Amino acid sequence: MPPTTEESLGVKLRSDFPILHQEIHGHPLIYFDNAATSQKPQTVLDVLRHYYERDNANVHRGVHTLSNRATESYEQAREKIARFINARSHQEVVYTRNASEAINLVAYTWGLDQLQPGDEVVLSVMEHHSNLIPWQLIAQKTGAVLKFINLTHSGELDVDHYQSLLGNRTRLVSVVHVSNTLGCVNPVAEIVNLAHGYGARVLIDACQSVPHLPIDVQSMNCDWLVASGHKMCGPSGIGFLYGKLEVLRSMPPFLGGGEMIADVFLDHATYADLPYKFEAGTPAIGEAIALGAAVDYLTKIGMDIIHQYEEELTAYLLQQLYTIPNIQVYGPQLNQTNYPKNQGRAALAAFTVDGIHPHDLSTILDQAGIAIRAGHHCTQPLHRHLNAQSTARASLYFYNTRSEIDRFIETLQEAIDFFGEVFQK
Amino acid sequence: MSLNTVRELYQQVILDRYKNPRHRGMTQPIHRQQRGHNPSCGDTIQLTVQLNESEDFIEDVKFEGEGCAIAIASADLMAEALRGKPVGVALAMVEQFQGMMKGAEEFPQEFRKLNVMQGVSQFPVRIKCATLPWHTLKAALELTSPVAKDGFISNESDS
Repeated sequence: MPPTTEESLGVKLRSDFPILHQEIHGHPLIYFDNAATSQKPQTVLDVLRHYYERDNANVHRGVHTLSNRATESYEQAREKIARFINARSHQEVVYTRNASEAINLVAYTWGLDQLQPGDEVVLSVMEHHSNLIPWQLIAQKTGAVLKFINLTHSGELDVDHYQSLLGNRTRLVSVVHVSNTLGCVNPVAEIVNLAHGYGARVLIDACQSVPHLPIDVQSMNCDWLVASGHKMCGPSGIGFLYGKLEVLRSMPPFLGGGEMIADVFLDHATYADLPYKFEAGTPAIGEAIALGAAVDYLTKIGMDIIHQYEEELTAYLLQQLYTIPNIQVYGPQLNQTNYPKNQGRAALAAFTVDGIHPHDLSTILDQAGIAIRAGHHCTQPLHRHLNAQSTARASLYFYNTRSEIDRFIETLQEAIDFFGEVFQK
Repeated sequence: MSLNTVRELYQQVILDRYKNPRHRGMTQPIHRQQRGHNPSCGDTIQLTVQLNESEDFIEDVKFEGEGCAIAIASADLMAEALRGKPVGVALAMVEQFQGMMKGAEEFPQEFRKLNVMQGVSQFPVRIKCATLPWHTLKAALELTSPVAKDGFISNESDS
């Protein structure tokens, strides 16, 4: 017997999120767009507010009390993030605006510096545009060649195909940990291991995994990992790049400015030690500190507990979606004998319903207070690959519940009936 | 869920045009051709226009492509309304349609069928869907050669 909603994690934790307690078009909000961004618990909002009300000052440059407070909190948050992903050192965590900036940082420093004409960069067809466009740009500048890992018939990363793409020209593998469209969890440790066999570096786009799964960069052994704060209960405008110390050391600076220097002359400069070498200008201080609070919040719940609860939600969501006639759910399916072939499936489902455009579905669901995403979710090449112009996507987090899934399914069926009714006349 | 608000948007005519569009296809011959694209959702339509000999009257408009109910119905109703209209009138209608989406006046009697799209103005995020065909039409009529050289027009700045 699955646990009843009364005792579920979602029911217990919902009260931490003020935004969830409102009505949209006269219906209680059901927020199922967590893969786009997550909501923020009161504790994170409090920390952000406290910082601006009590501690606001610039970091690393004042000797006064406020500057000291701001700097300490800012650096403590970095240490929290480092512990959260099991980095060896806080120096391996570079703050960025978001995950896109973190990928661009690697592309424009390591990529421009290291890639030669004919060098190969392996990506997958399921990449978010943010792990595709930077490499397209760098390939155009360097003459490097992009290669793409296909999907298996079950809608997962094809590891056999991946192996066949690796060779002596492979310099970089940059792949997503959890697909924001297929929901598949890719076997990143195996991916890294295989790439390292050819001396290639590996970047993991962990935007959809860091908020939902326990992450250990040491056991993953990736060279870089990127994530965004706003998808993990933190504010927007803050994300991070993890990089192995020796890898980050070998990279030239990215943006130039204050904070990232050691000694400056009119015609040249020396650069600060890690991680500051990559943090030019005044950073998003309050946002970084609030991200630290989000990490505290998630750690207190326990990432393994979040993951376990979300797996239950995922199974329930898929079972319920399967009861809808003429629906297609993308990615690995619950009833497949090989499920979970790789490492399971995240709490999201992109789907289409025959004859109804995802935008129309989303508009009708919104009228019932239900927020889902409709479109290509920044994975246009994947949508082309799946032969879908666009899809609807319900993406869940630990504060969602089975009863919300019930109401979502009920409303989805009503929306389908609404369109069906008209067409039959 | 109350379907009343939803019915204001998805009027019978819109759903009927979505399911059974009358003007899908390509004009024969093609005097103007333009692809329109909504980058936020990936929807794309392709308009073809047949003009009279002096190229100041629209003989026929047809569309191909994929889109939501709002975009398809809007394209179909637009194609119907434009047949036999002077190019200048068509361009003025583009302005008027965009105005209607912002809550301005309806179309006069002659084009009253277009007024079923008015409900979209209450759904700001869907206005782009309704204006996609009109935006594409404007680009098509402003072409000096029959086919757009640089691919398609995006309606991203239009809302």
